[in-house]
Amino acid sequence: MINGTVVDLSRIQFAATALYHFLFVPLTLGLSFLLAAMETVYVTTGKPIYRQMAQFWGKLFMINFALGVATGLTMEFQFGTNWSFYSSFVGDIFGAPLAIEGLMAFFMESTFVGLMVFGWERLSRGQHLAVTWLVALGSNLSALWILVANGFMQDPVGAAFNPVTMRMQLTSFQKLIFSPDVQSKFVHTSIAGYVTAAMFVAGVSAYYMLRNRHLDLAKRSFRMAALYGVLATIGVITLGDALGFVAARVQPTKLAAMEGLWRKEVAPMPFNVIAFPEQAEQRNIGKVQVPAVLSLLVTHSLTGTVPGIAALERQAVGRIQNGIPAVQALEALAKNPNDAAALAQFNAHKADLGYGFLVQRFAPDLNNVTPAEVQEAARDTIPPVAAVFWSFRLMVGLGLAMLAYFVLAALYTLRNRIQKKTWILKVAVWMIPVPFLANEMGWLVAELGRQPWTVFGVLPTWMSASTHSVGYMAFSLIGFVTLYSIFIAVEMYLMVRAIRLGPEEHGGSGDAPPQTRPTLAGRTVPAAAYGNKLEG
Amino acid sequence: MRSVLYFLLFLVIAVIVTLLAAILGDEGSWYFAWLIGTTMLVLISAAGAALLDAQEEHAAAQAAAAERKPL
Amino acid sequence: MQVYADAQVIWWLLLGVLLMGLAVMVGMDMGVGAILRSVGRTDEERRVALNIIGPHWDGNQVWFILGGGAIFAAFPLIYATAFSGFYVVMLLLLWTMIMRPLGFEYRSRIANPDWRGVWDWVLFVSGAVPMIVFGAAFGNLFHGVPFHFEWNMTSYYTGSFLGLLNPFAILTGVLSLALAAMMGALTVMNGAEGPMFERARGIAQGGAAAAIALFAIGGFWVRALGGYRLTGGPGPGVPQTPLEQSVTVLPGAWLANFGAHPILWIVPLAGFGGMIGALLAARAGRSHLGWWLGAAAWIGVIGTAGAALFPFMLPSSSNPSMSLTIWNSSSSRLTLLWMIGFAAVFVPLILWYTSWAFWVMRGKVSAETIARDDHAY
Repeated sequence: MINGTVVDLSRIQFAATALYHFLFVPLTLGLSFLLAAMETVYVTTGKPIYRQMAQFWGKLFMINFALGVATGLTMEFQFGTNWSFYSSFVGDIFGAPLAIEGLMAFFMESTFVGLMVFGWERLSRGQHLAVTWLVALGSNLSALWILVANGFMQDPVGAAFNPVTMRMQLTSFQKLIFSPDVQSKFVHTSIAGYVTAAMFVAGVSAYYMLRNRHLDLAKRSFRMAALYGVLATIGVITLGDALGFVAARVQPTKLAAMEGLWRKEVAPMPFNVIAFPEQAEQRNIGKVQVPAVLSLLVTHSLTGTVPGIAALERQAVGRIQNGIPAVQALEALAKNPNDAAALAQFNAHKADLGYGFLVQRFAPDLNNVTPAEVQEAARDTIPPVAAVFWSFRLMVGLGLAMLAYFVLAALYTLRNRIQKKTWILKVAVWMIPVPFLANEMGWLVAELGRQPWTVFGVLPTWMSASTHSVGYMAFSLIGFVTLYSIFIAVEMYLMVRAIRLGPEEHGGSGDAPPQTRPTLAGRTVPAAAYGNKLEG
Repeated sequence: MRSVLYFLLFLVIAVIVTLLAAILGDEGSWYFAWLIGTTMLVLISAAGAALLDAQEEHAAAQAAAAERKPL
Repeated sequence: MQVYADAQVIWWLLLGVLLMGLAVMVGMDMGVGAILRSVGRTDEERRVALNIIGPHWDGNQVWFILGGGAIFAAFPLIYATAFSGFYVVMLLLLWTMIMRPLGFEYRSRIANPDWRGVWDWVLFVSGAVPMIVFGAAFGNLFHGVPFHFEWNMTSYYTGSFLGLLNPFAILTGVLSLALAAMMGALTVMNGAEGPMFERARGIAQGGAAAAIALFAIGGFWVRALGGYRLTGGPGPGVPQTPLEQSVTVLPGAWLANFGAHPILWIVPLAGFGGMIGALLAARAGRSHLGWWLGAAAWIGVIGTAGAALFPFMLPSSSNPSMSLTIWNSSSSRLTLLWMIGFAAVFVPLILWYTSWAFWVMRGKVSAETIARDDHAY
């Protein structure tokens, strides 16, 4: 039995490092395609300003990319270091997309990112454009395979438990990659990255326009970002809806928590715009509702309903009682693999094996499980409602705010009047953090809403962690917090500095005044002497 | 002759892509939407930039014309 | 059953290829990091060294990520047991490795010498420490690691952090560092000229000589170590857990595979040949040839370890019968076959575009080219 504190610390460490990693990833996903768009204009029109744009935003891209790669390493380690039971239990399925991610996507992205940065003088325009597109494609394919893996945790399809090897095994690769949850989750996440990049580019461009600097670059970047952003925000909302629709079917507890739905409502169900969920009493304190909207959202009909938390708990009681014999049979099979009676018992109850594991947290000895313990485990199947409810609302609210903003920005930039509307520009600068916050909230909804499971309905979180000591966990957590705090400070410093310096002065050799640049030997040479400032 | 061969090559590629797209549209409609949507997003924002260039040129031409008039 | 057993062996071989790719490609970048402060005396020279590997380190690092991903996918039980058992070591590896991308990307963005000095130390640590850990991990495989399983495959590691720093593991760790320094120096020779070339030449020869000595000592030492032998169990190609086999520990058993198949002696000989060849090539100043011979040395060294350990992957010193082998820790047949399909398509593709990337960026790097290039590290 794993120490509960160790599980909690492992969860905190995973959440902290994943949330941190996810600060950098969406910008990479979106900015790479925006760079490809800029360079496409450069190659088709031949205007050097677009090359300058691709190079300047490329510089910022790299500052962000470095930390994305670095913190991604942590994620790959952490399944093994801190979630070893999870890794051996579902590695047969979960590991495959991670390995394919390396083979198909990350290798491509990382190899070509080197050429994208260093290859401007060595590749033809067409070749360099192709390289940039491959970086964009690679980073997004990378996200695809990671989300195939994550999708399995949300909706474990294409796999079955094998009592001979005591773990989950792949039964259908096609089912795994074409699962509706995976599909909508990938597109939702990828496009959320596009929105992030659009807001970032729009905000930085607006900052330049407000200071009357680099106008040619800023106007064009803002225009491109606004159009990219308005379409991407529409896409992200559409896919968010699709994801909710899928969740209603495959993860009813997550959906009920997202909506603060304690009891079944009659169709058409109203939508809680504001409510204060009280988990212990299973009710909402004070709420503002819009009639009929919930039915429309989650079932796409006026007559559909979804179960409330009370009903889900009652279902869980039945599944727990059915799961206990499955675990007992498994234990017998471990002692004697040829025990036919145990195998038959396992096969009869295997659908609820995960629920049998779940109750072991409260009743380690499955031969003496009291109804109170079953009840406790059933309560445990409900994720923390208030946190999920409010993360979801914050994410949606920020998404809608960004949609409104991008519509406005697109309207004025298309009329070429954006520079006169300084208030729209000022808002853009302030909105840079908004998509990042929305992304983090999205992660919380998805992963907190999946609790108490690591693999929904199959493997409970409490069993998944490694059998470390509290001391080890404290050591690693302190280490991560220290390192990551230093990293973010350095990254923010360099990013803000690169933005302040702007496109002309962002050279690799550092602190240079606009017109001259120190060479490595310490001499100062007019920047124009290098001849590669704007066009090549 | 060379053009014919190129034509045939691209025709074959087009047929393969169509077939793959048809399969993907069936099995993974959201994946398909992502492919189309991302391409569209990039091209529309690129077109927006080209439009800005055209608008600026137009404005510059008008300004030049307005300046010339008094002379 | 035969198909499953074949798939298991293919993945064991593929994992070997990935580890060799990791050692050669990541090893040379880390070697450059480890020797950065001695091969480059001035900031200008250090930038030359960094820019030689600048366009490639990111792509090369994926060999490492892919190695980890492949263990996870093909041998999930190894991934789970080793990564959690070696917790502190893994954190050491991880924390030093995650500083590396920042070292490359951030070091030269600010001209302040203190700033750059700090990042130079970061690059040194993030080059030397992971290579030592990588080598020491192999050393510990020969020793065995104290772990056992519960009935449901929950793994328990019962050793300490210091137990992983035993003399044999330190020897293999230093061997790995020596090879990495040699490869890093040869890489610098490929891309630099003048005094840097000469300094790198000295380091390459020193690294190669040290590696030859350590590999030879390791070979004799292994005869005295307790080796593991599989004496019973369900065998290859049969789905199983690690609780169903029996294993005995005998001194010198790690050389049993070589005794049974003398042809395997080619593998360590190739390792020695590569190291000696690299030493001579470095002395002659023929660094490109030396680099390829150095790669052959890595292949020989890792191949030797694999040939000795087969079919063991992670022996348990506290419960030898629970040792992890190819047969009891691999993924299911379906997963292995799908992954073979993906590897068959993408590994050649990776080799092709990686070669293209090196070809595009071929040639010497000089201070002038860095000063001219706005994007240089």
